[in-house]
Amino acid sequence: MRKFLGPIVLNVFAWTTILAVAFPLFWMLVTSVKPQSELFRRPPTMMPEVWTFEHYWHLLTQTNFLVYFRNSVMLSTVTTLLVVTVATLGAYSLVRFRYRGRESLAFMVLFTYLLPSVVLIIPLYLMLVSLGLSNTLFSLVIAYTTFALPYALWLMRSFMAGVPDDLEYAAMVDGASRMGAFVDVILPQLLPGIISTALFTFILSWNEYLYALVLVNSDDARPLTTGVMNMLISSFNIEWSLLMAASVMMSVPLIIVFAFLQSYLTRGFGAGAVKG
Amino acid sequence: MANVDFRTVVKSFGTFTALHGLDLSIKSGEFVALLGPSGCGKTTTLRMLAGLEFPTSGDIIIGDRRVNDLPPGERDIAMVFQSYALYPHMTVAENIAYPLKKRGVPKAERGPMVAKTAEMLHLTALLDRKPKQLSGGQQQRVALGRALIRDPKVFLLDEPLSNLDAKLRSQLRAELIELHRRLGRTMVYVTHDQLEAMTMADRIAIMEGGNLQQFAPPAEVYARPANRFVAGFIGTPGMTLMDGMLVQSGNGWAFETEGLRLRLPRLIDSAKPGAAAFGIRPEDVHLGSGDLTGEVVLTEATGHETIVTVAIAPGVRVIARIPGTPALRIGDRVPVTLDAARAHVFAAGPQGARLNHPSGTADADEAFNIATPLRVASKGVLS
Repeated sequence: MRKFLGPIVLNVFAWTTILAVAFPLFWMLVTSVKPQSELFRRPPTMMPEVWTFEHYWHLLTQTNFLVYFRNSVMLSTVTTLLVVTVATLGAYSLVRFRYRGRESLAFMVLFTYLLPSVVLIIPLYLMLVSLGLSNTLFSLVIAYTTFALPYALWLMRSFMAGVPDDLEYAAMVDGASRMGAFVDVILPQLLPGIISTALFTFILSWNEYLYALVLVNSDDARPLTTGVMNMLISSFNIEWSLLMAASVMMSVPLIIVFAFLQSYLTRGFGAGAVKG
Repeated sequence: MANVDFRTVVKSFGTFTALHGLDLSIKSGEFVALLGPSGCGKTTTLRMLAGLEFPTSGDIIIGDRRVNDLPPGERDIAMVFQSYALYPHMTVAENIAYPLKKRGVPKAERGPMVAKTAEMLHLTALLDRKPKQLSGGQQQRVALGRALIRDPKVFLLDEPLSNLDAKLRSQLRAELIELHRRLGRTMVYVTHDQLEAMTMADRIAIMEGGNLQQFAPPAEVYARPANRFVAGFIGTPGMTLMDGMLVQSGNGWAFETEGLRLRLPRLIDSAKPGAAAFGIRPEDVHLGSGDLTGEVVLTEATGHETIVTVAIAPGVRVIARIPGTPALRIGDRVPVTLDAARAHVFAAGPQGARLNHPSGTADADEAFNIATPLRVASKGVLS
């Protein structure tokens, strides 16, 4: 009896957890395709009686949703590229070169990551204003880079440390320059690390709300998070159906990106590189 | 082909000096093994030759070029790493072709060259595989192929066989000897395995603590170790070494240690009485006759020979190598002869210099008749 009870309890627990996590997503999806009349019906309908895409259509044609979406895509892409580039080269320096203060530098970088972002927001805002960058997408790129980079650097540092020195030396003996060895041999080994770092940065930039709220207040430069909030949530009313449709469209790119890249994350690229 | 010269090369890492003024001249086409325990400086030497480390002072010459400041790619060398260092994202063919690609050899020419190298190393069937799909021995061959394809002036091999099992190691050892004979290229081979150094090298450079201890052909290193370190390092089982005092005895010399007095062949002129070490190889210790009696404390039979450890005085043990499997048991008392003409005497200290003339030379023969080895006996009985 006990033999069966264990797995049953475990399964019930696991499925409860999954349902608890998945239900809001399911409800978001269902609500976004329900007509307005069905939204607040009691008892609620689990599946919509009539399917409608009018909320999506409304968002795409009669609001600034596409502008915000474009802003978010640009913002997250540029931030990701910048962070991945700097983190990869920075990690290379921290792992491969010997210089005074190397370790303390790495810890200092990590320490900045431990600071609550709220502490940095006012100084950063003042700095961006004085640089004449306030209210631009670029100001958000800079802000997101400042708090994504420390963690990204640590992530890349650990991946870089896992690439054997000998691979680079072998490439150099074979005739490659240091940069050539980096591009030909090191970068391919770092691919899983680069993808993890890129995913982390992209998701962080895509979902960020606080800095976007403080640093940007024109519709031209608003990303999805603050744009949708500003458009659909007021003191008097929340446009639930539009909000759910917007949420679905905000989640879809992330889900697609993650689905494509997650297999890279687990693939053992380094296996068989060196023996010993 | 090219000669390689190290001229008073010093290498320091911060306050630690890994190499104290190395002078080493490797002839063109020679197979030289750098041999020594971990941390002796052999790998640092090789890495400096490769251009992966730069000397603190001194010069490194390949051919007639001073290469101190040249990057690895411009030294015309090839290197096989202990870890093989195969590029995991490339196929075997791409790995082997990489040095050609980096040197701008057109793609059309690379194919036939890769095919030829692969054939030489029996890799033809594996060209499309990735390194992780290969066995250790196959990976090692790919690493060799990558070094061979370019026909460099000097081959550097950094413990290339140490990750392989014993059988494969002996097979690849033979293949490397054959390869060197066929190519006639200068090869510098780092190893901590004396068997590899003894069987493969034309000359062995034995290193310890960042200093070159001896640079000589294998037979000489074995028969005439330059100092106590080399004597203890070379040979399996190792030479029996005992510490004691060198004393003048009549017009000759004797060595005294706990309960023993040994008469010695003539020593070099600069020898002085005082602390010294006496060494004798297992094959120069004979059991079954002699004035000395010892007690068997250990026997290790390997089939074709037996290694016997005998206590000849309190605290003094010698190791003897006996052919076959003699009927000896632990505790047996046996007569022992030490072939003193073939003994070695060193100054005190871990790297004490050799004090006796090399056995087999005119000097040694004159002093000693090897056919009637000196009997060694307990103190006071015979001297």
